Amino acid sequence: MRTVIEGSHAVSYGVMLCRVQVIAAYPITPQTHIVEKLSEFCASGELQAKFLKVESEHSAMASCIGASAVGARAFTASSSQGIALMHELLHWTSGARLPIVMVNVNRALAAPWNIGCDQIDSLSQRDTGWLQFYCESSQEALDTVIQAFKISERVSLPSMVVLDAFYLSHTYEPVDIPDRERVDKFLPPYEPKYKLDPKDPRSFGGLTGPDTFTELRYQMQQSMEQAQSVIVEVDEEYRKIFGRGYGRMEAYRCEDAELVLVTTGTVTSTSREVVDQYRDEGKAIGLLKIKAFRPFPSEEIRRNLKGIPKVAVIDRNISFGSGGIFAEELRSALCNEKERPLVFSYVAGLGGRDITQETISNVIEYTLEEDQPKEASLWPDLRR
Amino acid sequence: MKMERSFPEEEYFMSGHLACSGCGATLGMRYALKALGEETIVVIPASCWSIIAGFFPYSSLKVPVYHVAFETAASSATGVKAGLEMKGDSTTTVLAWAGDGGTFDIGLQALSGAAERNEDFIYVCYDNEAYMNTGVQRSSATPFLTWTTTTPVHQTKEEAKKNIMEIMAAHRIPYAATASVAYPEDLFNKMKKAKEIKGLKFIHILSTCPTGWRLPTQLSIKAARLAVLTRIFPLYEIEYGEKYTMNIKPEFHPVEEYLKLQGRFSHLTDSEMGVIQENVERIWEKLLKKAEA
Amino acid sequence: MKEKVTFKRLQDIPPVAISLGTLLWNKTGTWRYLKPKYVVKTPPCNEACPAGNDIEGFMVLVKEGKLHEAWELIREENPFPGVCGRVCFHPCESSCNRRDYDEALSIHAVERHIADAHLKSKREKRHTKIKRKERVAIIGSGPSGLTCAYHLARMGYGVTVFESQSSPGGILRVGIPEYRLPKAVLDREIADIESWGVEIKTNTRVGKDIPFDDLHKYQAIFIAVGAHQSRRLHIEGEHAERVLSGLEFLKHVHMGKKVSLGDRVVVIGGGNVAVDVARSAWRVGARKIQMVCLESREEMPASSEEIAETEAEGIEILPSAMPLRITSDGGRVKKVEFIKAKLGEPKPDGSLNPISIPGTEFSLEADSVITAIGEVPDLSFLPREVPINKGLIEADEMGFVHVKGFFAGGDTVNPVHTVTGAIGSGKKTALAIHEYLRGGWSREKFRTIQVGGKGTISLKKYFHPPEGEANPPVVHFQDLHTDTFDHQPRISIPRISIDERRGGFKEVNSGMKGEEALEEARRCFHCGVCNGCDNCWVYCPDMAVKRKQGRYEIDYDYCKGCGICFEECPRSAILLEEEGR
Repeated sequence: MRTVIEGSHAVSYGVMLCRVQVIAAYPITPQTHIVEKLSEFCASGELQAKFLKVESEHSAMASCIGASAVGARAFTASSSQGIALMHELLHWTSGARLPIVMVNVNRALAAPWNIGCDQIDSLSQRDTGWLQFYCESSQEALDTVIQAFKISERVSLPSMVVLDAFYLSHTYEPVDIPDRERVDKFLPPYEPKYKLDPKDPRSFGGLTGPDTFTELRYQMQQSMEQAQSVIVEVDEEYRKIFGRGYGRMEAYRCEDAELVLVTTGTVTSTSREVVDQYRDEGKAIGLLKIKAFRPFPSEEIRRNLKGIPKVAVIDRNISFGSGGIFAEELRSALCNEKERPLVFSYVAGLGGRDITQETISNVIEYTLEEDQPKEASLWPDLRR
Repeated sequence: MKMERSFPEEEYFMSGHLACSGCGATLGMRYALKALGEETIVVIPASCWSIIAGFFPYSSLKVPVYHVAFETAASSATGVKAGLEMKGDSTTTVLAWAGDGGTFDIGLQALSGAAERNEDFIYVCYDNEAYMNTGVQRSSATPFLTWTTTTPVHQTKEEAKKNIMEIMAAHRIPYAATASVAYPEDLFNKMKKAKEIKGLKFIHILSTCPTGWRLPTQLSIKAARLAVLTRIFPLYEIEYGEKYTMNIKPEFHPVEEYLKLQGRFSHLTDSEMGVIQENVERIWEKLLKKAEA
Repeated sequence: MKEKVTFKRLQDIPPVAISLGTLLWNKTGTWRYLKPKYVVKTPPCNEACPAGNDIEGFMVLVKEGKLHEAWELIREENPFPGVCGRVCFHPCESSCNRRDYDEALSIHAVERHIADAHLKSKREKRHTKIKRKERVAIIGSGPSGLTCAYHLARMGYGVTVFESQSSPGGILRVGIPEYRLPKAVLDREIADIESWGVEIKTNTRVGKDIPFDDLHKYQAIFIAVGAHQSRRLHIEGEHAERVLSGLEFLKHVHMGKKVSLGDRVVVIGGGNVAVDVARSAWRVGARKIQMVCLESREEMPASSEEIAETEAEGIEILPSAMPLRITSDGGRVKKVEFIKAKLGEPKPDGSLNPISIPGTEFSLEADSVITAIGEVPDLSFLPREVPINKGLIEADEMGFVHVKGFFAGGDTVNPVHTVTGAIGSGKKTALAIHEYLRGGWSREKFRTIQVGGKGTISLKKYFHPPEGEANPPVVHFQDLHTDTFDHQPRISIPRISIDERRGGFKEVNSGMKGEEALEEARRCFHCGVCNGCDNCWVYCPDMAVKRKQGRYEIDYDYCKGCGICFEECPRSAILLEEEGR
């Protein structure tokens, strides 16, 4: 069904189509519309699920853990402080190998308060063992939620589907809502190998020692690595059925580019416009949109940036004392290559500041001019 | 005079576990599972029971166990129950089994949330009156004037024990009860009763800890019994936050009988014991009045 | 599932940290430094019973409603439960640990209840399998003689009992009045003894009706003639008319002979015979009866129950007084003069040593005086080789006289005269005779069949030596853990009213009802003997106590030695000992 809906609601539809069984959520701006819609679905019966209106995000994730442990398909959504509050349990979920899917509406972290778009909340959790997918459009958000369940249930690791606060969550776009039948075919019911079952009683998560912990963690890493190809396979399958696919990243007009912009989230849409303008003017500028951040698709990035002299990474986040996080990860991926592009790191759009075409142009201009990137990330939209 | 006990023979808890010699918490679980049977899933947050349930790759229980984060006993249990219902299983009992730390302190929020929503599971707080697993530090369940490693002898606990039962009563849950490991039939019956009720059931079990209470192991049950007989830990039930039922009204036993057994009270002066006696009597009278109403 | 799990390769470790086995391989028994053990200890009641009844044992059976089995258990040691249940001074109750908790068990009444239940049943003739060739002669068919006969007959010996009176029973027949011991009960219990093949020859006084030498054809001779000679007062006027000895009086009453006592009777003596005399005198019509004794109230040998009944029947007790003379008028008793006295240290021969208090003389009017100041055995008929010292036969604690083939027991050896003591003595002698006839006797053997330290023995221990310690320590009240016992008073035994007693010899004590006996048996603490209360099983934190056929077994692989089972065992049937390494 084709309609025009809010980004948040696109997520809600995705969740409903996935026949999620347990939703536990706590409200936080700008996630609220997702869960409000979901509670309507639950109330009307369109979605047969238990909606637990828990008393904090920490409890939301704990309840999802409990439900998933029993073999139910579980979902939650949060943002900013809520994600931070869940931090302990994000580690728990992946360690317990539970395929929970959470939508994180990227919002800045206090202090001081800020409800605008910022990637720090999701990126602060990059070590927790969750897969992370960054979405550019409402359609992508809906499609990614559906794919995420399949991927997670295949590799037994949880997924975080990330939307930009307000820019994506609260804007209306045309969205094609897939039909139930095809989604059911794509995503069968969740049947875990290990679950809480009185008929096969076992203890889960008991105390381990140095003699076994390494192997348990190694297995998680192995699954993450396996996810690299699973993401691609699932996306392919999705494309075949629904006619849409996103891959782990999208290289836009990167052939023989002098400079490739690297972006994630809604700034990608703006960047496409800017890149088109430059191309129209005959400048060889390309755009690499990164969708899958965990597992970090190093190999594909290297392939896409082979022969590219300069890369300008726009990070809507900063790791204090270091720099923009996507830039860091990119540099790591490239550091052992004999031939590698110069990586210029830019931090912009923090706390909901709009990354305008002008900002992006400035970034491109600066990068083209400079021979060497600075050590530190540059802040192109900083007040002077 | 009590003669043979009429407990089912079947054990759901196996020997070889790592509980300290004389541990009272083991008996709480042993009796609880006898009452609840094999269709039970136990959710255990950080506590002594995280160890007693067995380290990887072993389990000392014959029912499924889910180890969860410290403050999430009630929230995890909520999720487990929801998941079970969605999978079409409404008969398996979900049992959250938390210590006093994980209930009175760090777990209180989740418990309050679950109670307010009247989630359908049994929440047991096995109370050994301190953070025993980490080395006997005080919790809000530690009684007035008790020694712990963070309330040493020259500055013992100044605050009274938090009244968790009143907190649960304020949530108006269908059933809340206290129990003691020295009264196994009473505990067994309460668990059986809880199993039949829909909604949140809260059972507060006094679990002796010879290690942390500085008590000779053989006196473990005797202490749990004296706690009830001296009225320091009355056995009673609260239904819907209003109906109070006293399960046993013991004759007077001075608190000294209970306190003098334990090293954690060995520093108490006579006048301090007198204060404790007064407090116990005052609370007891209040409780009796509530039960009569 | 019981073994340790080993991981050799990465693939062996599951991706989710789930359990793959149990902790049963972890033998936590290695933590232990104290080890609990089930023991059987001696209940104080069993130690105190001179007849050696397994009181704790029969309480278990009564609790289970098995009255016949309880009767059989008593009869393994004591053929006279009906008698003892009526006349015994019940030292078992005085040593019952329950008396330190609330009130002692009414063991006496329960024993009677068991015997009475049997009384209602048919008689059975029993045979033993072994018929031995030896034959034993027993002189006297009192409690010690008949008990000895009973046990010897059960062991397969031929026994002949020589009784001087016309009916068997000894003091039970002629010395204890009907209102305390109905003869129907005695007759039935004697008949039960005879049904084992015991021959009783009544009206046969050895030394008179048959010569002593006739007995030499027997392989062993048990002298059990009892003490039927009354002590004399040795005061002026004691030979007057209507001054009788107590035993003489009681015998007349027993035979139904009329005794004219007049209205006022003075009874001299403070023991049970004196009480029996006083109470019998009341029943045959005496109007005013006064009982005077040397002892103070507290020192009176008569039991406090008997004293209470005596006073209830209107008899006046005047303690701490010594008779000086009996004054007669025309040959008939008129009054008795007394002086108040205190008892000093006993005389060298053991007899009482009264010290009169000057100026306290008083006299009592009397139409008759009955003396009951002690009885001694008549041993004049015995051959010289039987050693006699201070009026008693010299025998060891088992009854051996250590002169070929001679044995003695009951009141012939014991200056303290109790029926139950005599029964116990008869039993020991039966064993002594058996050992003698089988060729040897050792003190060691005696030690192994003792119950506690008061000389009580158990035949059951002799024939079925127990596993473990032969004579385990006695349980005292402080050994018990009474937390799980409720307080409950003992059943009080009803007695018939004074009106119902007057002028007749109807039995005064009514028995217990069935439910009362059950209730009372439930009060038994079962000191030192496991009775399956389950406390140890319930309270074990390691599930190391396993139930096994109504009892328990400790799985030492897992027992951490916490000692909870020891502490929670109400009856001290668990011991904690140091783990030997």
